[in-house]
Amino acid sequence: MHMVAFRLPANSRIKPGKTFAAPAGTRRVRAFRIYRWNPDDGTSPRTDTYEVDLDTCGPMVLDALITIKNEVDSTLTFRRSCREGICGSCAMSINGVNTLACLKPIEEVKGPVRITPLPHMAVVKDLVPDLTQAFAQYRAIEPWLKTDTPAPPDRERLQSKEERARIDGLWECILCFCCTAGCPSYWWNGDRFLGPAILLQAYRWIADSRDEATGERLEALEDPFKLYRCHTIMNCTDTCPKGLNPAKAIGAIKRLIVGRQV
Amino acid sequence: MKDIRDTLMLARRSDGTLVARPLSPHLQNYRWPVSMALSIAHRATGIGLSVGALLVTWWLAAAAVSDSAFAMVQGFLGSGFGVFLLMGWAAALLLHLFLGIRHLAWDAGWGFGTLAQQEPVRPGHENRIYRITGWGVIGVTVIATLIVWIIGFVVW
Amino acid sequence: MPSNPDLPDRAIHVDVLRSQLKRVRGLGSAHSGSGTWWAERLTSIALVPLTLWFIVSVISLEGATRADVFAWLHAPVPLVLILCMVVATFWHMEQGLRVVIDDYVRSDVLRIAMLLLSRGVCIVAALLCVVSALRLGL
Repeated sequence: MHMVAFRLPANSRIKPGKTFAAPAGTRRVRAFRIYRWNPDDGTSPRTDTYEVDLDTCGPMVLDALITIKNEVDSTLTFRRSCREGICGSCAMSINGVNTLACLKPIEEVKGPVRITPLPHMAVVKDLVPDLTQAFAQYRAIEPWLKTDTPAPPDRERLQSKEERARIDGLWECILCFCCTAGCPSYWWNGDRFLGPAILLQAYRWIADSRDEATGERLEALEDPFKLYRCHTIMNCTDTCPKGLNPAKAIGAIKRLIVGRQV
Repeated sequence: MKDIRDTLMLARRSDGTLVARPLSPHLQNYRWPVSMALSIAHRATGIGLSVGALLVTWWLAAAAVSDSAFAMVQGFLGSGFGVFLLMGWAAALLLHLFLGIRHLAWDAGWGFGTLAQQEPVRPGHENRIYRITGWGVIGVTVIATLIVWIIGFVVW
Repeated sequence: MPSNPDLPDRAIHVDVLRSQLKRVRGLGSAHSGSGTWWAERLTSIALVPLTLWFIVSVISLEGATRADVFAWLHAPVPLVLILCMVVATFWHMEQGLRVVIDDYVRSDVLRIAMLLLSRGVCIVAALLCVVSALRLGL
């Protein structure tokens, strides 16, 4: 493969699927058009349509998915856990926007709700993407406090309120990878580009007043592919379901690297 | 270089046989925010302007070479297609210029909005400063392009 | 290929995980990239005023004869500005095209070939512009 593929490979093109109609007499029906793929079927991915009664379903998209799994089709597979936007499991593409299904009100979507897995990922099954690589990249930036100075024996390492405030907007990241999976640079070069979520996490440790490995961290990031595939496209900030700003954090890393050599 | 992501595209069925995983749809159903469209426009105009730079090279070199060579370039640029190219060149240059200034501001740390958590936390709200500057760049480019076109035709 | 029934799937998975860390670390950091990034910014800063000046110049040269071009470049200020413009433009163009090529060309052989080609075209075109401008202006 010489060039980046903008089209999906032949085995990934989506075919029409089945429709599960709502029971007769349902008043508030909403269609959910959901991406399906099961390794045991040996077929192409398809889109199944489920009609859900909004009167008997919770308000969020995740509630509809749970309703479908419980009452209509138990084979539907998706990740979910906390249902309140803190675990990051139910990240998926809802009407072309990466977000957490548990934070997305059905009412905010007009017409049928189209749900696909996070973009440009290997699909494990249905809405479950393979995040192995993204978590390996997380491991690669060494996301822990690195110090040479031993911790005080009697208390924790102290930060001033101002120092603590510098990691606001960073520590809240829950690693749902909505941003990373929305970044075209990650689509084309995700094997070498670290992606917005991981770069925001890297900056979280660079910005931490207690961490003593800032220079080492910047050196590990200074690379045409690991860092500089970021072209400030802004999809990351645009899509973050937690309202964070990965693009701004990446900009801060670039300024620190240039600042120490100019 | 072999794509290391290929290792993720392989899975096993329940009976142990291997199966190729599909790649989830990306460009096919991603909803483009204005900043993404402008980013692609920045790239497209950059490539177009590279061709334009070669056109300028031809013009300058022809002027340095001979009267007949220069007359040929001027004839081409004065033709219908030449004028169309020049108008497109002006529009592309201005869009690339204003988007470039927006990029420089970002690189200096301005125009991202805040780093800290914003309310409401769901995407789809329109209070982000980079969206405003994105639409602003579109507006400024349209106005500046029209001004340049009008002055260009008046002088001509 | 049937799998070995004695081999638990978990073992395969752990193996993939471990090799993934090796894969994402790759050859490590190149400790470069910031130079290109910074130079692209510097040339773009220079190009903001130069571009505006060039647009005005192009309009003023509409329908110009060759003698008009000689007269235009015979003054020191336009000559210096056009030389600055040429250097900044082709430098910026080379860096911009490099970013595009790095983004979209996956094969290293093809990528390096395209980088060399784009750099060559930029250098030749820039020199052609410089020599032409000097010939007209001096």
